[in-house]
Amino acid sequence: MTTTTDRPADDPRITLERDLGIFEPVPPYPPRTEREAEFYTLGDGQMFINMGPQHPSTHGVLRVVLKLDGEKVVDLDPVLGYLHRGVEKLCENADYHQAICYTDPLEYVSSLFTEWSPVIAFEKLMDVTVPRRAEYIRVLSSELNRIASHALFLGWMALDLGGLTPILWSFIERDEIVDMLAALTGQRMLFNYFRIGGVNGDLNHEFMSRLGDWMGRATEQIESGNGLLNENEIFVRRMRGLGTIDQKTALRMVMTGPNLRATGVPFDVRRAHPYSVFPELEFDIPTRSEGDCLARYLLRMDEIKQSLRIIDQCLHQMPDGPIMAKLPRLLRPRPGRAYAAIEGPRGQLSTYAISDGTDQPFRMRIHDPSFIHLQSVGLMMPGHLIADTMAIMASLDPIMGGVDK
Amino acid sequence: MDRRFRERLETRFGEQLTGPIRQRNDETEMRIGPGDVVPVMTALHDEPELRFEFLSDLAGVDTGVVMQVVYHLWSESTADWLRVIADGLSRDDPRAPSVTFLWKGAEWMEREAYDMFGITFEGNRDLRRIYMPPDYQSFPLRKDFYLPDDAARSPGGGVRPMERTHTPGNAPSSALVRRGSA
Repeated sequence: MTTTTDRPADDPRITLERDLGIFEPVPPYPPRTEREAEFYTLGDGQMFINMGPQHPSTHGVLRVVLKLDGEKVVDLDPVLGYLHRGVEKLCENADYHQAICYTDPLEYVSSLFTEWSPVIAFEKLMDVTVPRRAEYIRVLSSELNRIASHALFLGWMALDLGGLTPILWSFIERDEIVDMLAALTGQRMLFNYFRIGGVNGDLNHEFMSRLGDWMGRATEQIESGNGLLNENEIFVRRMRGLGTIDQKTALRMVMTGPNLRATGVPFDVRRAHPYSVFPELEFDIPTRSEGDCLARYLLRMDEIKQSLRIIDQCLHQMPDGPIMAKLPRLLRPRPGRAYAAIEGPRGQLSTYAISDGTDQPFRMRIHDPSFIHLQSVGLMMPGHLIADTMAIMASLDPIMGGVDK
Repeated sequence: MDRRFRERLETRFGEQLTGPIRQRNDETEMRIGPGDVVPVMTALHDEPELRFEFLSDLAGVDTGVVMQVVYHLWSESTADWLRVIADGLSRDDPRAPSVTFLWKGAEWMEREAYDMFGITFEGNRDLRRIYMPPDYQSFPLRKDFYLPDDAARSPGGGVRPMERTHTPGNAPSSALVRRGSA
């Protein structure tokens, strides 16, 4: 094979460099930390294997260096940053309205949630009271988005385990919801629907008719989708006892959301620190005690049912009135700090915003649950097989857009 | 706002506070020096009347004058978010103790603060860059790091290199001349 160096510079043919694609697992520099030195030292009979950055089961671009003993994983080192866009810095250079759309693609399957936490933080900075109808519309649309996100999780997880059918089924569900939200917001994925002080548009006829149509058969449709996996012995036996994490470790790893509730801690920001109109709504916080992959999967299926309950109540209690608070066009909040956390489909999503009196946030910190959950894979993995890496990672449901910000 | 909680904090941490306790909306804010992070956080985490077992967020902040590490905590014992600001880290060599001995999950958040602000967390076992490449030199979220297309501050006056039709020494383009004379 010839290399590009033997050829004239204007040769149009594309050739590969000789050493392209050869993976060198050990970094070419001395270890910088205690942990790195420990990880990149091989024991007897151990080897490294590289997974990613382009691996279909990492749901984005994530590289994981696995340390193996035979087929058993001893330890792993996730390498992030392939999707890093510097959202926080971009927000600091945008005004308050513009900053919201930068947060949309963080969790691109549940964008309404990533919009919601900065919107609440900015409203706190400006002491805005949001009209009740707007709050109800926010809860209604975001719970729909939660179902869409959990439906996609169901499909993805089965796909990572090698089952193709569930993703096709769950996309039926997801597409109906995405179409509804497209009718409401005008976008299918990155909605940019929430505004400081309210929402962008009122409920319209198309959205309501689609929603009414879907609500009638949603429960049945979801049940039939679940039956495909819940009663599948291969799936259940594969997932049970896999990637177990106990309650204490989960709290030490500051895990939140379904992954924490699957270990038995009933922590849900909607109840622990209520925001919006959640105190007026009735719903349960499903928990499970096993803390394994199966528990995390089943818990999300329970959450879908609770979301349906919330949507039903929203439709019945929806008040009339304005959907936006009266605000000036150019927002210049007084200097101050505000923190807002919400319960996303993956866990607690929060924003810490600092205002210095100008029309741009001085600092905007976004905390994403996927980032936190990905680091706990290192604790769940040891002792499992390579093939289980994908199952465990999928059961935590990380979105790399949120991990890499 | 939880007024009683404020009094509890004042009596418990009186000497360690470096500023007044502020309350706004559903947040309570206390400021401590970086040297007091370990005793204060341990007390908040362990003491039965406080029980802040849940670390919601750990963020680095560059105020332009000093560096800060900001912790947000949640507890059943109060309805407020507790914000603990470890204030007054020098910008030349910001150092703060790690809280990984209480919350192991803070490890990556501290790595992120190190990567973005250069804050060294003493006691973190794995303090290396997390987003930026390992040979990267600067700290992007610091206030003296400007974006190349930052309109207000960049030397090109907000014109991106690819949009620049001429170098300053050359004659201006016809479009600019026309706009100027109109």
